[in-house]
Amino acid sequence: MMFPYLFSPVKLGTVEVKNRISFQPHLTNLAVDNLPSERQMYYWGERAKGGAGLIITEELTVHPTDMAYEKLIDVYHKEVIPGFKKITDYVHQFDAHIFAQLNHNGQQGDGSNSRLPVWAPSPIPDVLFRETPKEMEPEDIEEVARYFAKSAIHVREGGFDGVEIQFGHSSLARQFLSPLTNFRSDEFGGSLENRMRAPLKFIAAVRKAVGNDFTLGIRMCADEMIPGGLDLGQVQEICARFEASGLIDFMDLSIATFYNLYLVEGSMHTPLGYTIPLAAGVREKIKLPVFCTGRINDPVMAEKVLAAGQADMIGMCRALICDPFMPKKALEGRLDDIRYCVADNQGCIGRIGLNKSIGCIQNPAVGREKEWGEGTLEKAAVKKKVMIVGGGPGGMWAAKMAGRRGHKVTLYDRNETLGGQVLTAMKGAGRDEFGVIARNEKEQVSKAGAQVKLGVEVTPELVQTEKPDVVIVATGSRPKEHPVGGADGPAVCNVWQVLNGEVELGANVCLIDYDGHQRATATAEFLANQGKTVHMITSSLFIGAELGPTQDLYLSRQRLLQKGVTFTPDIAVMEIAGEAGAKTIKGFNVYSNQWAEWGPYDTVVLAMGQKVNDDLYMSLKGKVPELYRIGDSVAPRKVDMAIWEGHRVGREI
Amino acid sequence: MSYKDLHILVLLREVSDPRPPARVITRGAGISDRGLRRVPNPADLVALEEALVLKDRLGARVTVLAVGPARLDDTLRLAFSMGADRGIRFWDHGLEGGDAVADTRSLARILTILSPTLVFTGNRLADRGDDPVPALAAAAVDMPCIGAAISLTLNKNGVEGLRKGDRGSRQVVAAPFPCAVLFDEGATPRYPSVEAVTASLIASIEEWELADLGLPFWEAGATGAYLATAEYGAPRPDPVRVVTPDPQLPAFERIISLLSGGIKAREGRTLSVSAEDTVEGLWRILSEEGLVT
Repeated sequence: MMFPYLFSPVKLGTVEVKNRISFQPHLTNLAVDNLPSERQMYYWGERAKGGAGLIITEELTVHPTDMAYEKLIDVYHKEVIPGFKKITDYVHQFDAHIFAQLNHNGQQGDGSNSRLPVWAPSPIPDVLFRETPKEMEPEDIEEVARYFAKSAIHVREGGFDGVEIQFGHSSLARQFLSPLTNFRSDEFGGSLENRMRAPLKFIAAVRKAVGNDFTLGIRMCADEMIPGGLDLGQVQEICARFEASGLIDFMDLSIATFYNLYLVEGSMHTPLGYTIPLAAGVREKIKLPVFCTGRINDPVMAEKVLAAGQADMIGMCRALICDPFMPKKALEGRLDDIRYCVADNQGCIGRIGLNKSIGCIQNPAVGREKEWGEGTLEKAAVKKKVMIVGGGPGGMWAAKMAGRRGHKVTLYDRNETLGGQVLTAMKGAGRDEFGVIARNEKEQVSKAGAQVKLGVEVTPELVQTEKPDVVIVATGSRPKEHPVGGADGPAVCNVWQVLNGEVELGANVCLIDYDGHQRATATAEFLANQGKTVHMITSSLFIGAELGPTQDLYLSRQRLLQKGVTFTPDIAVMEIAGEAGAKTIKGFNVYSNQWAEWGPYDTVVLAMGQKVNDDLYMSLKGKVPELYRIGDSVAPRKVDMAIWEGHRVGREI
Repeated sequence: MSYKDLHILVLLREVSDPRPPARVITRGAGISDRGLRRVPNPADLVALEEALVLKDRLGARVTVLAVGPARLDDTLRLAFSMGADRGIRFWDHGLEGGDAVADTRSLARILTILSPTLVFTGNRLADRGDDPVPALAAAAVDMPCIGAAISLTLNKNGVEGLRKGDRGSRQVVAAPFPCAVLFDEGATPRYPSVEAVTASLIASIEEWELADLGLPFWEAGATGAYLATAEYGAPRPDPVRVVTPDPQLPAFERIISLLSGGIKAREGRTLSVSAEDTVEGLWRILSEEGLVT
């Protein structure tokens, strides 16, 4: 066996989990009417089917004052039990265990959903939600403990194998533990012993409610990573005391707070396994099984962490959202078939943060496992000859899905390698991992039986010679021009030309950012890395305006500033003038309407967004029996939609 | 007494090379076979050497016994090349899953059948430590047993063994023939000549099964064992030290240390050295592993 540690059983309390892979708690926004839903059953079930030994549900809210997100499950109502039973029965049939996570978010929420004041140890507003909470009275603390207990009973009656209490990055318990949010002078504040009093009450209440024969653990914040907050040293002490209480069976870990959410859900700019030192640090001090979560996205790394004794259980979240069957593939040694998560964050965190249901740029079936999950793909009734033009992510997905259904598929691309725009995007600074998207699908296309023809420019004549039944156009998009004077002048280029090394650039560059996303910031950093002086002008309020939801904003701006990149926001650029080496830019402030001029620059780089490549589609219209177009060639969007449409058309033709 | 009828039985056991890490199998109790290097138990080879010294001096007959599957033939051939006269490999699938008591029954039967004057083997196994089976088997056939022996003197009716005692003390014990001796230290095993190694390759090894012992199957292996593995807990791996962020550092520096220093999973160590140094380094590793000489 390739991964003996990863696939060895582990005992968590009374439960023996078959392997060391835990699908970690995370919001899904899939609940309906604050009750468990069928979509959740299939969502969690798919990961159990895929081989994860343990599933931990998303946070279930234990008290009416905690409604930080609209689609949380209210676990304190006993109406949740029938839904829980369906979920736990479904998961158990795959020889997996499932725990429920209980949480009260404290001040990390607001009252706009619950219409109640939020409760917290001290009236300190959270940095994201910014609502001043009510300072909890001792009876409030007792009430929350009672609700934790009541909720835990519902969990047990719902058929779960264990319960985890959230003491991590977003939780009332952490707010009690941390000197950053607990300014109380009564028995619940001040000394560490006092700060631990309320969290211990929550644990004790749950332990009493579920009994000694039920697994109970906590998810602790290993380091708040903020001045004045908890650090690893203090957390080691806290964990040792929790262990000494004898009330808990395992120690799950998270990191950071809402001050630095980019550390909770590290994007691809964060190193793989960035939290391993913290898990190892906690594990040094306690004997309970310790979890480690954070960009451990492949079984090889997971095995190393386990073999090195740095953790006892590997928490995987995005890795299994992206490929629910990674554990099974790892067990069977099929590493080539694993679809690795690239931590782009657009589909998962990016959607959840905007209150949409969970998704994944690389896995269209997320949240739709019932319709699109493993085993739902049916062979095509009629075998068709399918011609797919464009080997980007959309084209590759269409080819893979159609091929698996038994169609005779040929995938064409004019380049010498598959990947499309991914191959350009991955050249941006720190975006190398984006290229894994192409790696993930390339093999699958040929494994699905599709033929790949590279270096072929598909023309209407070629289509007529081939006489396919179906043509799928996935010809993508190209950068669009800036519709202002001088945008076609000398020493003006677009981000693609920069990343592909097609142009000579001077030392002093101005990048006009109408994109707000990685296309602009990763290119600016790419230039700064080459030692160029870069100035960025945007009409948005700030540079990187679209990077917030994916948790890329903070570190992207930090790196740009550290590399000397300067920013001017609020400016609509109206004219680009001058010769190479003396380019000037004229524009006005969108709020004050005052005109100003910038320059001189050696080169101007435009990040304007994209326009469709639809020539082939337009010329084929009405001339082939079935014609589809997908992805950017319909309307330039992001890779998630290209994959989504490629997947759907491959399923439907 | 004349020693011309002296018959020494040497029990040779295999152990896993303790140098590479062993992997525990996922289900059940045991060590995974994959990547495991097996070697003859060093103390057993010492016992064999002691027997061969007696053969050289007094003309004793030396029989070597190995209990286990066909791969143990290599150990027996090694014994032949060193000078053993007869080799027996005892194995039967019915022996699988046995405990010390079940294994003792078959060894005791072999002792009865062969009725040697002396039984030699190592005192401890290099990988697992104590093995009670030889002592138990000796007891089962009313044979005295000298444990932890470091040297042996033969006299008229028996042996005198010098053995290790508590806290470095030494003790001489006497026992009559027949007798079992478990060596802790002793003569360094000899190095066989090329001719002897070649000859050992065609030496015939007797293969014995349960039926040859006349032992009913229910007394051997798992069915004959008192102990059964009810549950097996994989060992908790000892942590490899990782540098954890220093709590004394300001938070922003801790973040930098995490984001810059984490484990770099997909990179190996790259060394740039000349071709000569590479060859020398590889040669050293291979000879340390005993793959070249």
